[in-house]
Amino acid sequence: MATLKNIIPILMLFFPVATYSQKDVWTVPPEKAAKVNPLEIKPKNLTVGKNIFSRNCVACHGAKADGQGLIQSASFLTDTFQKQTDGAIFHKMVTGRNKMPPFGSVLKDDEVWSVINYLRVLVNPSVLPPPKDIRIELAASEETHSLTAFLTTADSVRVPLGEVDVHYYIKRDFGLMRFGEISNYTSEKGKVTVSFPDGIIGDDQGNVTVLARIENDFLYKNNESAVVLRWGSLLVTEDAKFNERTLWGSRSKSPVWLLILANGILAGVWGVILYILYNLFRIKKAGKIFIK
Amino acid sequence: MTDLYRKDEEIKKEQFQELLSDLTRPLNHTSLTFKIWTGFLLLLAAGAGFMYFRQVQQGLGTTNMRDIASWGLYVSNFVFLIAVSLVGSLITAILKLSNVRWATPLTRISEIIAVAALISALLIIVVDMGRPDRLWHIAVFGRLQSPIVWDIITVNTYLVLSLLLLYLPLIPDLARLGSFMSHKPAWQRKMYKILSLGWQGTGDQLKLLEKSVAVLMVIIIPVAFSIHTVTSWLFASTLRPGWDSTIFGPYFVAGAFMVGAAAVIVVMYLIRREYSYKQYLTDHHFDMIGKLLVLTSLVYLYFNLNEYMVPGYKMKSGESAHILGLFKGEFAIMFWLVQTVGLILPIILLVFKPFRKPRPLLIISLIIVVGAFLKRYLIVTPTLLHPFLPVQNYPESFAHYHPTFSELVITSGSFAIMALVVTVFIRFFPIIPICETAHEKGIDQETINNQ
Ligand code: HEC
Repeated sequence: MATLKNIIPILMLFFPVATYSQKDVWTVPPEKAAKVNPLEIKPKNLTVGKNIFSRNCVACHGAKADGQGLIQSASFLTDTFQKQTDGAIFHKMVTGRNKMPPFGSVLKDDEVWSVINYLRVLVNPSVLPPPKDIRIELAASEETHSLTAFLTTADSVRVPLGEVDVHYYIKRDFGLMRFGEISNYTSEKGKVTVSFPDGIIGDDQGNVTVLARIENDFLYKNNESAVVLRWGSLLVTEDAKFNERTLWGSRSKSPVWLLILANGILAGVWGVILYILYNLFRIKKAGKIFIK
Repeated sequence: MTDLYRKDEEIKKEQFQELLSDLTRPLNHTSLTFKIWTGFLLLLAAGAGFMYFRQVQQGLGTTNMRDIASWGLYVSNFVFLIAVSLVGSLITAILKLSNVRWATPLTRISEIIAVAALISALLIIVVDMGRPDRLWHIAVFGRLQSPIVWDIITVNTYLVLSLLLLYLPLIPDLARLGSFMSHKPAWQRKMYKILSLGWQGTGDQLKLLEKSVAVLMVIIIPVAFSIHTVTSWLFASTLRPGWDSTIFGPYFVAGAFMVGAAAVIVVMYLIRREYSYKQYLTDHHFDMIGKLLVLTSLVYLYFNLNEYMVPGYKMKSGESAHILGLFKGEFAIMFWLVQTVGLILPIILLVFKPFRKPRPLLIISLIIVVGAFLKRYLIVTPTLLHPFLPVQNYPESFAHYHPTFSELVITSGSFAIMALVVTVFIRFFPIIPICETAHEKGIDQETINNQ
């Protein structure tokens, strides 16, 4: 009897929890769940997956993929998640539910599969060899306004490295601006070329800093190379506007009319106050004369 | 019989003597009620002091002001106190300059209310600051283009003018006190002596004093208008629903005269009761200031009609959320209570003479004062909760504002400090002008001087 008495409240505790999670289950039709991932777990498509993840998923699922982004979403690190088939995850990503957007129209099938591969590697990094050092050189061509990155091994032999994704950036005041394609793979000669975009504003001499980066790669460590080019248009600052006397200007730039008006009123009122204080002084003096 | 033979001069002398002992009664007499009242105020002020200490230690997190409603009870209270302070200029300057005789016994009451409200307002606005230790930055870095700087300048200027207008007419009374209060401790007699500036009531002195008071009364009116107009511009010069209005200045000034008159009635009533001043603060005085209250309330009602009718008719998309929140949303109950019970009902009642008798008038005035406080709250906070620019990704709790216990204690403490200033003043200075009352009773300067 006593055990029954103990069990009932415990059961009652589980009841709402059970119904809750029941409602929350995201069922995938068996034929969809059975779909097979056509991609192997290879560094190249892992890089694609990681790039997509950091661009499209981090905001909600968090940088650690634990579901703690700007909103509460789902963790990819749990056993329950990882036990699902690739096909099931594919279906969920493509169709979406509630706040999880459907990515079917945004990502190609291969891209979805490569994200799934990346999610698998996240909890099981040992399937990959440790990343190696890489050397990167960046050269600019004045004629074609283009930039070429040259990737080789970091040792003295300098073997050109093909099939490596390079990301290009332009340095701005508050961060980096990406340009080129989302992925720019090197050729067998270890080279990849992108053209410099038009209409970039540089500093007051037209200088811009361009970066080429190896990042999010599973075979190589992060590395970058930078060049400064005079390819930007000149930066024109409107200092003259800032030096005008305006209502939004700084303390020393208040409009003249305001200075005259405000100080005029102040002088007038405080003049009267001073006059009254002076009268008080005269009253005091008049009293003294009377006593004498 | 004997009166016939006595010289007119002697009768006058006796009259003045009586007046003097009547009007200095509060200085000599401390009842139990007075002591309990003062103790109560000190307790409230101490509670507020403690809570403020905590607030300085832990930061403004002890309030419920957050990113969206960044102005709450404190700023509402500031606007309310500034409004109350305007009554000083209404009664002492405007009525006096228009030769309204019945206002004489009310001048000092209204002036000390003005000074006390200003002191309290200056305190509460420092309380609202997250970093009060940086107050001096306003002097060093403040921009003349900012209405906040104008506000600081005008409020302090008005405080100085109010103190002068309180002090100047007090000088002749102080001279009488110096000789009349011989049983008081030495420091107190010395204080009267220093403050009375060696007043002898000579022709020269009288002329100087009269001239100075006249100049003061004229200059204080535009300054009084400007302080509340500038306070209203703190709101009106920003682009927000409910504040984006061109009539905010006169709207605030009108409301200020109404609540100020009500505040004077409350203090008048308490003084009349505590010191049995039935013959100085007569039913006639209550009747007249009651009429003044109807007038100011009607003007304020007119402004309210403009302020809510016109935007309510247009329902501009950006403003409608705010207006509907007042008319039938989150703030509807408070809004309609303030408009009906706090404004329309008092006007209807006060039109009838029986309601302008002291006691009913007191109750109506108390309702008006509470309503006016809530009105300031309705002006400040709901607007902040409906910004024009959409806000997103903020915690649900930021969408509403309910003052914390700490805010409530500090706010009541600010009222206590205001009441304390008035109380202490009554304890040390004649609250009803002695010499001015004597003049109005026809007692000549010579009798006053020779007493
Ligand atoms: C706008 C926010 C948002 C973005 C962006 C987002 N997700 Fe989600 N995701 C969610 C939410 C919320 C859930 C939980 C949905 C539910 O259970 O109803 C979820 C659930 C999932 C699930 C199912 C989890 C499970 O437990 O089975 C997968 C898989 C998933 N997301 C993958 C992704 C991937 C991959 C990306 C990037 C390409 C992504 N999500 C981008 C919000 C987002």
